[in-house]
Amino acid sequence: MIHVFDYKDAHYIYDTGSGSLHECDKDTADYLKAKYEGGTMPKLSAEKTREIEADVKSLQDGGLLLCPEVKTAPIKSDEVKALCLHICHDCNLRCRYCFADEGAYHAERAFMSERTAKTAIDFLIKNSGNRKVLEVDFFGGEPLMCLDTIKNVVAYAREEGAKAGKKFLFTTTTNALLLDDDAIDFFNREMENVVLSLDGRKEVHDAIRKTVNGKGSFDLVIGKIKKFVRSRGDKNYYVRGTFTARNLDFSKDVLFLAENGFDSISMEPVVTEIDDLAIKEEHIPEILSEYETLCDRYLEKHEKGEGFNFFHFNVDLEGGVCLHKKVSACGAGNEYFSVVPNGDIYPCHQFAGEKEFLMGNVYEGKLDPAIREKFASNSLFTRKGCENCFAKFICSGGCSANNYHYTGDMNTPYPITCDMMKKRIECGMHVLARKKSGQK
Amino acid sequence: MIKTIATPRDKKVTGCGECRSTCQSACKTSCTVGNQSCERITREQNPEKND
Repeated sequence: MIHVFDYKDAHYIYDTGSGSLHECDKDTADYLKAKYEGGTMPKLSAEKTREIEADVKSLQDGGLLLCPEVKTAPIKSDEVKALCLHICHDCNLRCRYCFADEGAYHAERAFMSERTAKTAIDFLIKNSGNRKVLEVDFFGGEPLMCLDTIKNVVAYAREEGAKAGKKFLFTTTTNALLLDDDAIDFFNREMENVVLSLDGRKEVHDAIRKTVNGKGSFDLVIGKIKKFVRSRGDKNYYVRGTFTARNLDFSKDVLFLAENGFDSISMEPVVTEIDDLAIKEEHIPEILSEYETLCDRYLEKHEKGEGFNFFHFNVDLEGGVCLHKKVSACGAGNEYFSVVPNGDIYPCHQFAGEKEFLMGNVYEGKLDPAIREKFASNSLFTRKGCENCFAKFICSGGCSANNYHYTGDMNTPYPITCDMMKKRIECGMHVLARKKSGQK
Repeated sequence: MIKTIATPRDKKVTGCGECRSTCQSACKTSCTVGNQSCERITREQNPEKND
């Protein structure tokens, strides 16, 4: 199938079968929309129509347009390749929108013992099969409340990994409140990626991300995050914000972050049911327009030599993952798992604490086969309503956890998430086209 | 006129499963495979990643 879309004065054709993106003039876009997506056929000269049809045939013959979609098999493996270690279920902030119940995950606040964390590493190595590169991310709560444990676990994983011929890639997600020189030095030595939470403008950040005393945390973290980023060199990091219904003008927050020297930025829609923060259907038109505003400002910055990386505009059509991965979704519950402080294993961090998804414990070293099979069999082809969506090979049918929490079914995507996703993909394709053409 | 902007490069190996788990990258809530790169290609371009 093809998806013909406009981005202001630009017109694009995305072919789902070949994964190719093309740019065209307005007449061609209108003609193809009418012919393949329904609608009114524009009045074009016979010569123009012949020209369009000749272009289409040439691209079709070259396998770049109107290509049949191949129903590739999802990747199915018994290997475990990544763990999210909830190194503590406690936090030194009390952010209103926290899906993790302000760090506690709807249970008692708890810290993972070094023994449990090391057992989780053993579990990962033992179940990783032939895979050489393993991933562990330290998550919370706030992981920096347990920096000593993290250091010891990293050292242990490096040592045990070397014996087993495995290489570990580590990530930490932090609110940066405890990000001191020691932590910065450690992160720069050991972390493949560091994700730092910062919502953007001070008033936006402080309205939600409060200390346990109820005060905004912006002034406590901004200097630390800047210092860390200055020290990071060419290593990966993301300054990651969350937008809510209270800052639907979130492009200002992304630009604020860029103007403060952060050149690797992510800004995510909130996952919450809190009424005044939750993203609702009535917000969608404004959010989609805001993504366009962000896209325009993003390209302007690039043109001025002030470019930055915005996570969701990185649509990699050329060097991206293969079709097998594209239909396989994220791997949660099959090759990627979360381990909570007592060693219990869940399909991912967003299912942590939900007893119906408890898959085992690292001390037992086994995974519930029925739950694993349920997740392993999830793929693009089991998602409902994705068959006729142009975005399917880019989003894989969305996040199982988001689908489940919003619709009650892992295989039923949440329309609001889909709307935002599709817009981000179109913006990402426009960014790709403009960068390649060297325009704007 | 239709101009091709991008098309996937041929991959020598597909379905190898070496790709990074999707949720590890940045957002933890709405990461997608579309934001990911092929880990094989990344490693070929950055040999030190094969250490």
